[in-house]
Amino acid sequence: DAVSMLSSTPLQVLFYLNSWYFAVFFIAEILMFIYKGVLLPYPQSNLILDIVLLLLYLGLETLRLFYGWKGNLCERTLTLSISIGVLVPCTVLSVYYLLLQTFVLRLEFILNAVLLCFYGLELILGLITISAFARYNYDFV
Amino acid sequence: MSSISSLVPSRFLTLIAHLVIVITIFWSRENNVRACLPLEYTNEEYNQEDTRLVVALSVTLGLFFVELAGFFSGISMFNNNQSLLSTACHASGAVALLFFLFEQWTCSIYWWIFGFCSVIPALYEMFLLFTVLGLKKKPL
Repeated sequence: DAVSMLSSTPLQVLFYLNSWYFAVFFIAEILMFIYKGVLLPYPQSNLILDIVLLLLYLGLETLRLFYGWKGNLCERTLTLSISIGVLVPCTVLSVYYLLLQTFVLRLEFILNAVLLCFYGLELILGLITISAFARYNYDFV
Repeated sequence: MSSISSLVPSRFLTLIAHLVIVITIFWSRENNVRACLPLEYTNEEYNQEDTRLVVALSVTLGLFFVELAGFFSGISMFNNNQSLLSTACHASGAVALLFFLFEQWTCSIYWWIFGFCSVIPALYEMFLLFTVLGLKKKPL
């Protein structure tokens, strides 16, 4: 039996909202690092590490959302699995900013917790969507 | 469509901003509870005010859950009226709660903020949920 559309609408909605949320998250984190850098006793190397990791996070997240968005819309298994693969370092970075960084603000804790909720839902929906693609896509990978 | 390009993400972001501030107040409510009490207070008075604030914040979180359920299920995501109302209420709620948190306003003011900025969008959301699920109208 043929299915007309395999792309997952909930996953697409999550990617769309996640891209907006991450943009605001990134700006908020930059402002919070300026606040923390001025107010708290940071060793210089820790501050530079945190900011470099934030820029790395921006790159990784952009990559992940782009691959996920296009993979879901074009119903391509490989592209969507790359997105799920990049989810792993993104989760590690989010947990770093949640727990392991030098000074964690309450606001950062909550913002990263919301981001981890997004990641969990996207992981589950992404895996379901990949299994739907693999099951019904006979023509191309 | 204009509603997809600007109203939906702005509604989502103001909703999340309001939610984050409510959770922050929940987490660090000591200072605010102390601002409600007179200079000399007993432990029972503190516990009473603390319980009141916890109840207010919990009801707020419950109403947030109602609104997020309506938003993410798609029932009210593309309804322009609700998006506009929700964006306005939650944005003003977020700003008012920022003042509440940092200026340490008294607890009675929280009920006013709650009434205007959490109850109104949640009531309209419940109305929309009723019309779509109960009266079987179309979600837009």
